[in-house]
Amino acid sequence: MIYRWNFPLSVFVLASSVSLVGCVPGMMGSSSSSSDQSGATGGGERGISSSEVPPSAQARSLEAFQRGSEIPSTSSSSKSSSLQDIYFEFNRFTLRPEARETLNANARWLQNNPRGRIEIEGHADEKGGNEYNLALGARRAQAVKDYLVTLGIGSNRLSTISYGEELPVCKTKSETCWQKNRRIHFVIIGFGPAS
Amino acid sequence: MRRIIFALVMLLVVSAAMRVEAQVKGLIVGPGAQRYPIAVSLLKNLGPAMDDPKFSEGIADIIARDLDLSGWFRIIDRATYLEDPKTSGIRLGRFDFRDWSTLGAEALVKGGFELKDGVLITEFRLFDVFQRRQRGGKRYTGQIQDYRRMAHKFVDEIIFQFTGVRGAFDTRITYVSTGAGRFKEIYVAHLDGTDREQVTNNRSINLSPSWSPNGRSVLYTSYKDGKPKVYRYDFTSGSDIEFSGRKGLNLSGSWSADGKRIALSLENKGNVDIYLLDSKGKIVKRLTRSTGIDVSPTWSLKGDQVAFVSNRSGRPQIYIIDISTLKTRRLTYSGKYNTSPEWSAKVDKITYAGMSDGRFNIFSIPSQGGDPRQLTANAGDNEDPSWSPDGRYIVFSSNRTGRYQVYVMRANGDNQRILTGSSGDDTNPSWSPRLQ
Repeated sequence: MIYRWNFPLSVFVLASSVSLVGCVPGMMGSSSSSSDQSGATGGGERGISSSEVPPSAQARSLEAFQRGSEIPSTSSSSKSSSLQDIYFEFNRFTLRPEARETLNANARWLQNNPRGRIEIEGHADEKGGNEYNLALGARRAQAVKDYLVTLGIGSNRLSTISYGEELPVCKTKSETCWQKNRRIHFVIIGFGPAS
Repeated sequence: MRRIIFALVMLLVVSAAMRVEAQVKGLIVGPGAQRYPIAVSLLKNLGPAMDDPKFSEGIADIIARDLDLSGWFRIIDRATYLEDPKTSGIRLGRFDFRDWSTLGAEALVKGGFELKDGVLITEFRLFDVFQRRQRGGKRYTGQIQDYRRMAHKFVDEIIFQFTGVRGAFDTRITYVSTGAGRFKEIYVAHLDGTDREQVTNNRSINLSPSWSPNGRSVLYTSYKDGKPKVYRYDFTSGSDIEFSGRKGLNLSGSWSADGKRIALSLENKGNVDIYLLDSKGKIVKRLTRSTGIDVSPTWSLKGDQVAFVSNRSGRPQIYIIDISTLKTRRLTYSGKYNTSPEWSAKVDKITYAGMSDGRFNIFSIPSQGGDPRQLTANAGDNEDPSWSPDGRYIVFSSNRTGRYQVYVMRANGDNQRILTGSSGDDTNPSWSPRLQ
């Protein structure tokens, strides 16, 4: 399901690579141009192929876990999603410079897909109490949401949830692994107007 | 002779105190030192029904196991017993004390059972072998499935006879287990792993169960509805209701001793603070207003204060807030990362998990502050401590064998024993109050 993204993604990347030239996060282009872009990708072929329309939603980490699928993650090496995960230092929720860069790119996706709504999943590594880590995940998710809002993304398109240390993507006991788990994962939960 | 027994009990108390000293100095004192030798005879069938080893042996096994777990007693091996439990009596004068003094037993437990029309009657007696007299006796009547609880109840009585404070074996532990799968479900079981009951079965993530003071309900956090909400499960009715389903995180907390207030953590735009709710789930008071994380509240004995974890100083530490004045003080200063506090309902101490050199260990600290005592060491990560209702033991989870399992130890760190043995991870144990 998740990998169905590849297809529509390639469509919008073409469009966005044009529309994003010179578009710095925080200095958004007009929203109408973004709308035109999404209209253009689907518009020309409407009625011909429904697969051109981006899927309505991706699986949340919890849903993947419940189904027994791998917990989704999209590191920078992965091309499976347009929205990349970002990572944190132990017990911190401040955004590192590389995290901000990733968020800038994610913000561009949101600008280019103005009907897209996303859920910001906050995760933590296994060290520490479950409850503290849930609160830490909530903090991380909120820090990301606040940053995206400062880039001009409407807060009604961004929801947050914390899973604390409960849904790790990596399960060995090593710092490399813990680093992968101290993350924000983004899930596209819909393309309709915000309800 | 009574003085001798008193002296022996005092010796136990003093030796326990000495061990405390030894612990602080870092000496290793093996479990089993200075234990009181006790024999537990097989139970005698007193009724007309066929003998049932579930009662005759089973009950004696439970009593012996609990007494051993208590750390106070050394159980004299049953294989060495001289008398025939089927022919000897269980009352004073109906058996020979020399059969027991020869073995070195200083105390003796005898008992009998009678099964009639589905009703189980058990009778227990504790004898002082030196004084040749009975020190306590109890008769319990119940259903067949109550036989384990009857055994635990009599152990609590034995411990009362020896220490003046009732034991805590007629209790249960609730904990989170992944069982054989990946879901985190909540279970409840006796300390010995028997009478296990699955509280949740929703194939999701369930966390942090905590007992109501009457032992009839647990609050827990669950993602069964997709979002972290707090639920209340009632053991008698089996009802399972949403207790707090506010926007953002709802994290199960702690019940005040009178059952009227629940302290839990709620999120407001990423900021998690501690609130007091009434028994219906309505917010009564907001306790913390820091911009940092405030979680894991636990009530003081008197119900006037709440200890909790906060990262207001940068890293998680334990703090105590007065619920009427909201005056807050920091409790822990040693260690860079301290979480999961639990305030004993019996002794004025708080146990918590602290990290040093990348590993978690269990500590306890007087609630007025002072030097924490480290209770676990060199045995994997040790987390989620919870006091027994008599304040003498702590259950916790440890991954010393690779997987997280639930362990119990005496409050000074002695006598660490594994309690659960599931094929998955067992975490978040919480010890019930005394059961009614």
